[in-house]
Amino acid sequence: MRSSWVRGAGALLAVGALFTTSACGADSGSKDTSHKPAGRVNLTFWGWAPGYDKSVAMFNASHPDIHVTFQKTAGGSAGGYSKMLNAVKAGNAPCLAQVGYETLPSFAAAGALQDVGQYANKSKDQYVDWTWKSVSVADQVYGIPLDTGPEAMFYRADLLKKFKQPVPTTWEEFAKVAKAIHKADPSVEMATPPGDGYDVAGLTWQAGGKWFGTEGSKWQVNIDSPESRKVAAYWQDLLDAKVLKTTPALDAKWMADADKDKVVAHIGAVWVNTFLSQNLKGSAGKWAVAPLPQWAKGDKAGANNGGSSTAVLKGCKDQKEAVEFADWFSRSKGSVENLIKNTGIYPASKDGLALPAVNAPSKFYGGQKIFDVFKEAAADTDNTWQWGPTMAQVEADFTDGMKKAIAGDASVTDALTTTQDKTIEAMKAQGLNVSKG
Amino acid sequence: MTITTVRSGTVVARGERPAARRRRLSRGRTRSAWLFLAPFWVLFLATFIAPICYAVEQSLFALHRDGLGLTAPTTRFVALDNYVRAVQDSEFLSSLVRVVGLGVVQVPLMLGLSLLLALLLDSASVRWPGVFRTLFFLPYALPGVIAAIMWSYLYQPGISPLAKAAGQLGHDVDFTAPAMTLPDIGNMVTWGWTGYNMLIIFAALKAVPAELFEAAALDGCSGWRIAWHIKIPNVRGALILTTVFSIIGMVQLYAEPDILRGITNTITSDYTPILAAQKASDAGNYQYAAAQSVVLALLTLVLSFTFLKFTQRKGAGE
Repeated sequence: MRSSWVRGAGALLAVGALFTTSACGADSGSKDTSHKPAGRVNLTFWGWAPGYDKSVAMFNASHPDIHVTFQKTAGGSAGGYSKMLNAVKAGNAPCLAQVGYETLPSFAAAGALQDVGQYANKSKDQYVDWTWKSVSVADQVYGIPLDTGPEAMFYRADLLKKFKQPVPTTWEEFAKVAKAIHKADPSVEMATPPGDGYDVAGLTWQAGGKWFGTEGSKWQVNIDSPESRKVAAYWQDLLDAKVLKTTPALDAKWMADADKDKVVAHIGAVWVNTFLSQNLKGSAGKWAVAPLPQWAKGDKAGANNGGSSTAVLKGCKDQKEAVEFADWFSRSKGSVENLIKNTGIYPASKDGLALPAVNAPSKFYGGQKIFDVFKEAAADTDNTWQWGPTMAQVEADFTDGMKKAIAGDASVTDALTTTQDKTIEAMKAQGLNVSKG
Repeated sequence: MTITTVRSGTVVARGERPAARRRRLSRGRTRSAWLFLAPFWVLFLATFIAPICYAVEQSLFALHRDGLGLTAPTTRFVALDNYVRAVQDSEFLSSLVRVVGLGVVQVPLMLGLSLLLALLLDSASVRWPGVFRTLFFLPYALPGVIAAIMWSYLYQPGISPLAKAAGQLGHDVDFTAPAMTLPDIGNMVTWGWTGYNMLIIFAALKAVPAELFEAAALDGCSGWRIAWHIKIPNVRGALILTTVFSIIGMVQLYAEPDILRGITNTITSDYTPILAAQKASDAGNYQYAAAQSVVLALLTLVLSFTFLKFTQRKGAGE
């Protein structure tokens, strides 16, 4: 207990600075040429996704003038983002960081990002338009987009067949199948409900809602919107019917159960594909991917969950080189192929989307060309969604609300109302202009 | 360096008046004492006092942005606003109540167990005391986070060998059920710290003068009565010390719930005061996190000193 006090308090008392200095090395953006060939620029890159290190190694091999050191942090909302913000506050942040689109506006609002528009803008046309908007706030550009998170339904083709159920194409069918399967075999569950704010955000996005917007110099918060409520009521019904898996999705237990044929489907973004293929053994080859179920038969609405950028953090001295790396990381053939294979990204660069790797059939998914599904989902996703400036708070409060709902202590709708209230309160407390949308 | 100081002191001292020699010697000693103390003071000031001052200072400011707040925020002096918010923050308050409540139940249980183990180790009939002492102490040697991860596997449904064993005996145990969360955490803390506290109490037992036992034996006192009348009153100091340590440890509960969050739906992001402060700093609100930390530190101080005062008064009354 006491040692963790040192950890917890250390971070927030900004003694964290001491730890981060020793943890991240001294070369964050500074030009230390004493032991290196003259003129070589050293950059440090913080991120957590698997496979990043391989692309970094490729870059270093082909760029003698720039050396990038990749340092693995905890996942973004699992501590990675706070480590980055602490380092920026302490003045010893690395130049480069993996920052999700959902968090980038919050980082910008915290003053943690560097405007690198003068170096980055020349690459603008190389990326899918809305991803470029995701790394910009107003006319400032904070990094290079890497990937997007189009969502789909991962499912067990063999189990649906076994229970004589169709592949659901609407949410109504999804619920019917869930109830039918659980009735036929109570030890089998269709899926987990959305577990956190970003899951619900993705589904609300599909339903046509928008959580945040701006009008003039005023923020509008719409977390508790009719579209969100539609999504909430839908999952509440399945929770009440007790046909869902209520332990956390994709954790060790989930994986064990999935391999024991106890999980039928998972609603998730494209990057889930490597999670499954790298962790599941017994059910390999039996999974397949279908478009997200729709609210109305014949609709084609996509959703997005995740997608991230390689952002340049405040205080970076070698911005030009940092942008050069980030652009190469997101766009060069070798790097993108590696990231598709090992990280499970769906590229944001137009060239990346044309790579054969994005069209390759996958053994784990029974030989299906799964990226076809995600390509369609990406095209069907409304790209005017906007994230708010306090997402760390929104996500923490929403996850708390969803946990209560899943445990049965409150409803999913309660999660919406409490998060809405807390978000407006948190934004007002910081002096932001805000109104309920 | 100190050696040379002392040696040169003696050399120069030859043929001087004793008083001057003593003065010079003691000055050398004071200097070397300071030298030995310096590392402590430097670290103590830099990693303890300075951060506290910094936190207090930060807690008097608040973030401020204008309009859409797309640029870096500024901070403004707001005096005690953050503290007012903290004492009105129902989640933060319930996190305080939660750790105090857990402490009220867990600390006596753990220390009772520590005392029992220490007495058993100290009893005349114990075999292999060294082996058992090490065994009891071993959990403490494991880093808290590692222990928490280990326990989270032991609790996780479908993986837990404990639940499996209970299942075979006909009991369905779900360690991730809402009602089990506090007992889960209490168990983890007890497992990790019983041996540590036992060792402190055991050391105190070893320091009890042997004459007392002889006298008691002559008076016909034996076994449990010796433990009750001689041993326990004599380790009162150690019990008070371990209680204060345990109270401090409990209000600062962090690693156990933070790890368990991954496997259960009942632990929120502000389950304990430290988690709540961590949440605020994750959201970029270092100032509010600082205020919460100061409130927590004050609570710890009040609890520890109240307990000390209480036991002192009771001790004096005896």
